[in-house]
Amino acid sequence: MTRLVESVISFPYRRSLGPVTGAFMTALTEKRILGIRNGDDVLVPPMEWDPATGAALAQDMVEVGPSGTVESWTWVPEPTEQHPVDRPFAFAFVRLDGASTPLLHAVDAGTPEAMSDGMRVAPRWKGARVGHITDIACFVPGEEPEVDGEDQGPAAEPVAIMDYVASITYRNPVPPVFDLANEASHERRLLGFACPVCSRQYVGGRAVCPIDAHEFTAEDGVDLPHTGTITNFVIVTPVQYPGQTETEPFARVFVLLDGTDVVLSYQPVFELPVDDVAVGLRVSAVWASPAERPDEAPTGMGTSLGSLIGWMPNGEPAVDDPDLVNRIF
Amino acid sequence: MAPSTDIAVVGWAQTEMARRTELSETQLLLRAITDALEPLGLTSADVDFTCLGSCDYITGQAFSFVGNLDAIGAWPPKRDSHVEMDGAWALYEAWLRLQEGDIEIAVVTGSGRSSTGDPALIYPMEMDPYFLAPIGADPLTFAALQARAVIAAGITDERSMAEVAVRSRGKGTVDDLLAGDYVRQPLRRHDVPPITDGAAAMVLATGDRARRLVERPAYITGFDHRTECHNPSFRRLDDSPSTRLAATAAGLGRAPVEVAELQAAFTHEELLLRSVLGLGDDVVVNASGGALKANPIMATGLCRIGHAADHIFKGGSRALAHSTSGPCLQQNLICILEGRS
Repeated sequence: MTRLVESVISFPYRRSLGPVTGAFMTALTEKRILGIRNGDDVLVPPMEWDPATGAALAQDMVEVGPSGTVESWTWVPEPTEQHPVDRPFAFAFVRLDGASTPLLHAVDAGTPEAMSDGMRVAPRWKGARVGHITDIACFVPGEEPEVDGEDQGPAAEPVAIMDYVASITYRNPVPPVFDLANEASHERRLLGFACPVCSRQYVGGRAVCPIDAHEFTAEDGVDLPHTGTITNFVIVTPVQYPGQTETEPFARVFVLLDGTDVVLSYQPVFELPVDDVAVGLRVSAVWASPAERPDEAPTGMGTSLGSLIGWMPNGEPAVDDPDLVNRIF
Repeated sequence: MAPSTDIAVVGWAQTEMARRTELSETQLLLRAITDALEPLGLTSADVDFTCLGSCDYITGQAFSFVGNLDAIGAWPPKRDSHVEMDGAWALYEAWLRLQEGDIEIAVVTGSGRSSTGDPALIYPMEMDPYFLAPIGADPLTFAALQARAVIAAGITDERSMAEVAVRSRGKGTVDDLLAGDYVRQPLRRHDVPPITDGAAAMVLATGDRARRLVERPAYITGFDHRTECHNPSFRRLDDSPSTRLAATAAGLGRAPVEVAELQAAFTHEELLLRSVLGLGDDVVVNASGGALKANPIMATGLCRIGHAADHIFKGGSRALAHSTSGPCLQQNLICILEGRS
């Protein structure tokens, strides 16, 4: 049975809004909704360009609503975590009074029987508004806008930036050869795979020879040496992005395994100060003790070598070969 | 737009279409590409150009298409491209590339492993990031709003939509389906596509090379794609002007087609597209079962072109294939395939 690994990828985006969307978002904090004139029409949401022709629009903003009329709707019986309402609701095209086009948003009406084309709705504002489309928590039946909780007033400055965090959970299959290599690493074996067509050897659980499109199986496994030479390196000064645990400059090295064409990329080093890292240094594998093994099984994403956690100088004389630096793959 | 040189589909293959596969996207592609090349007596060494269609957002890996190149064996280095679109658009790029006349064989693919993530949560993130993505505007909602517009325009009704579902999947009865609950009014479960893992690969060849490879190449005689603005707030949802324009430019009107393969993931989309394209009852639509039967996102459109090519391989003379992208049929592609006696 193929193992699946779950990972969550989050993208914390900060988007600049520009003059038109920025004005719209700023107005939301003031509990006002703006459209933009396009000839005789008023576009909501406002666009910088005519949607039909692409012509730039004069930035002639006009207030609409806040009440409006439902032009079309559909009932959402099972909301997701991304939806603005956490109970069954309607997504509706709401034509705000004074607008020529409908805004898609949620209507919190309780039941689908309470929804109809032509019904009147008004915004339910959030008390704390930041300049985001969800400053309108949703629309509610009737003519009267509401405020959810204590009204904390408009933004102090015009809103120019919008935060949007995208987050997705993925489940990926781990190629069986990856697990074979990982298991072997716990026995202090560096298991690679050799392509029967071109004889090239690969590590890190790569499932396919990229030259011959040959898919590896256990039969292709080969034990690789535990010593090698540093061919290139980088000293990373860590930037404290989300997830970065390093605080001091650290080295990542590329290691050419003895007697093979295999280069292990981006390897950690031990007992080797960053100032002493050099091309040509001879190194040996460092293995985790069973107690040091990471709790989580490797994901199969990128080059992970299980219990092979890095490399340390082995005292052998350095290799002087100007071509080494070219061997990073 | 008519090509300056003969360019034909000479073969294609698709993987098994499954709700959930244990194979990685690269492994899926490996099988599809091998199955497409082998019957033609070709190997990757014969391939002059590759263009892959896939989506990093679905895969959950930046530059996932680089890993997918392992499936073609890109050595010695090959001319390669990638589109973050359905494989049907990868085919469009390969068709353009072959018109330069300096190469003869191209392979295009579409691959999607939808079960990697939850499509209901991924697709909203591909919408407009200011007004739509932050409220989780999802494909079911957009499809339901378009279905309402299409019904209101008199182009279809819920019964006709159920008939499309029964015909496409070859199971159930209309009355039974209409007794089901709405998932997004007016859409019921049967109006909605399945979630499918799968990949497809297609082989293109030019001129004499195509004629040497197969008895009856499926010549691409018209190919065009058009887009509309993104936000459905600004579009008429009971029409598809981009489909109409692409079909006109591809020369649909020059002669009748016998079959049409439409990328209609939702039942009402098939009926809207039939109406916009002016397809009569004599045109066999989605005999393959279409996207309602198997919907491997990023390969669904390429499969439509493959099934249309199959019609030509079997002796047919003219077929239409359609692919689409974006909410409410935002962008549409039309490919006309013809056989020659």
